[in-house]
Amino acid sequence: MTLAAELTRIIELFQLPAMQRAMLGGILTGLMGGMLGSFTILRQLSFFSDALGHSALLGISLGLLIGINPSVVLLPFAVLFALGVTYLLERTRLWTDALLNIIYSSSLAIAIIVLNFVGRYKGGLHNLLFGDILAVREPDLLFSAVLLLVCTVFIGLTLRTQMLLTLNESLAIARGVSVSAHRTAFIVLLALVVGVSIKAIGVLLVSAFVVIPACAARSLSRTFTSYVVVSAGLGALSAIVGMLVSAAFNLPSGPSIVTTQLAFFLIAIFIPQTKFLAH
Amino acid sequence: MKEVVLAIERLTVYREAYAAVQDVSFSLDAGTDTAIVGPNGAGKSTLVQAILGILPRQAGNISVLGQPLIRKGSLAPEIRQQIAYLPQNFLFDRRIPITVEELVGLGWDKLGLQMPWANRRKRRHAVRDALAQVDALHLRRQLISGLSGGETKRVLLAYCLVYPRRLLILDEAPAGLDVRGESEFYQLLYRLKQEQGWAILQISHDLDMVRRHCDRVLCLNRTLLCQGTPEESLSPDNLSLTYGSEFVRYHHRCLPQ
Repeated sequence: MTLAAELTRIIELFQLPAMQRAMLGGILTGLMGGMLGSFTILRQLSFFSDALGHSALLGISLGLLIGINPSVVLLPFAVLFALGVTYLLERTRLWTDALLNIIYSSSLAIAIIVLNFVGRYKGGLHNLLFGDILAVREPDLLFSAVLLLVCTVFIGLTLRTQMLLTLNESLAIARGVSVSAHRTAFIVLLALVVGVSIKAIGVLLVSAFVVIPACAARSLSRTFTSYVVVSAGLGALSAIVGMLVSAAFNLPSGPSIVTTQLAFFLIAIFIPQTKFLAH
Repeated sequence: MKEVVLAIERLTVYREAYAAVQDVSFSLDAGTDTAIVGPNGAGKSTLVQAILGILPRQAGNISVLGQPLIRKGSLAPEIRQQIAYLPQNFLFDRRIPITVEELVGLGWDKLGLQMPWANRRKRRHAVRDALAQVDALHLRRQLISGLSGGETKRVLLAYCLVYPRRLLILDEAPAGLDVRGESEFYQLLYRLKQEQGWAILQISHDLDMVRRHCDRVLCLNRTLLCQGTPEESLSPDNLSLTYGSEFVRYHHRCLPQ
C-alpha cells in the first residue's frame, strides 16, 4: 500500500464517529491526567493512582454482584475508596507504599473472588484490564469535559496554594492553608479522573496517564507553571499521536498511547536540547 | 506605649502524652527582637508551631495584633498575612521545578482563590525588591534545587520580607549562613524592627548572638524559667536553671577572658 493510500485510509477511519469520540476521549483524559499528574508525582502519590486503578476492579465486581451497571458504581466507589485510603494513611504510621500495596492487592483478590460468584462478565475482563477507547460514548465525553473544566478551575484558582502545599506543608499551614481540605479535594478529583479514564484505558494502564507525561514535563520545564501546562499538553499530544499510530498500524489504542507517552518521556530525559522548550 | 503584636497567656501544648510546653505566658511589642533559648527538647519549636496554628494547644490563649487564635489555629486572613515564618529545617523535595522568583512570590500572595496571572506585575516588583534586600536578585531565575544551604536561607528570608508584615518568627534561621551572610542577616533584622516596626521572635542556640542582637530573652525548658534583658536572662544562675550547671561551667570556660 502506498503512503497516500495509507493516509487516505487513516483519514477515512477518523471520519467514523466512534474514532472521533475515541480521539476526543483520549485528549480529554490526557489533559486531565497530565494536569493532576504534575502534582501527583511531586506529592509522591504515583502509586496511589495505580492502587486506585487496580482497586476499581473491586467496585466493578461489587456492582455486578448487586446487579448495578458497573459504570454507575465505579465513580462513587473510586471516590469512597480514595477517601478511605487517605484516612488510613493519616491514621496509621505505616509506610505509604506498604499500606497501598496491602490495599490494592487485597482489593484485587476480593474482586476476583466476587467475580467468581458473578459468573461470566458480559463486558469482558480483557476490556476492563486494558480498556476500550472505541467504546467511549457521548455521555462519557460530556462527563470528561465537565470534569476537565472542574480540574482546570480548581488547579487554576488555587495554583499558588497548591505550589506551596507541594513545596512544604509547614509553610502552607503557617499561612493559614487548610491542608486536609486541599488534600481531600485533590484526592477526590484524582479518583474521579482515574475512574473516568478506566473505561478508555483500562485498570492496568490508567496510572500511566497520570505519571508518564508529568515525569516527561519535569525534565522539560524550568518553572512550576510551565511544568503543569507542559504536563497537560504532553498528555493530550500523546493521546493524539498514540491514536494515529494505533489507526495506522492497527494496534490496540490504550497501549499505543502509553507507548507514545514513553517515547516522549525518553526524548525528554535523553535529549538535553529539549530542555529549552519550557523556559 | 508600644503596640502588642503577640500575646501568649498560660499556653500548654501536648506532644503525644506529655506536656512539651506548659503554662507559658509572654508578650512581644512592635519593634523588638526576642530570643527563645533552651536545651534540645525544651519545647521551643513546639511553642512556635502552636503560635502558628501548626500544632493544637490544650490550654491557654494566643492573640496576634489583638485577634485571638482559636483552638484549631484559624486566624483572619488579613492577620495571618502579618506573620512570616522561617522554619528550622526547610525540607523540600529538590526535584520540584520551582524557581526562586516563584517561591518568593508565594510569600506575597494571600493564597485565596485567584487567577494565576492576577497581580503579576505588582508581585514581580515586590519579589525583586525582597531579593535585592537579601542580595539574591541574581538567583531569581534559578531553580531552588540548585541553591546552596546559605542561598536557600536568603531566598526564604526574601519569602518572608516580600510582603510588609508585623511579626517574623525564625527557627534557628542563620544556621547555614557564612560569616558575611550572618552579619548581613542581623543588619537586615535590625532594619526591619527599627524602621518598619516588625516584632521578631527567634529560636536560637547561639547565646553570643542573642547577647549582641536581641532586646529580650525567654529561657524555656518546657515551662518559662525566666524572661528579661539578655544580661538578666543569660546570667549564670538563669543559664544553670535552664541548661544545668555542667553547661554553665563549660560555657564560661569557653568565653573569651
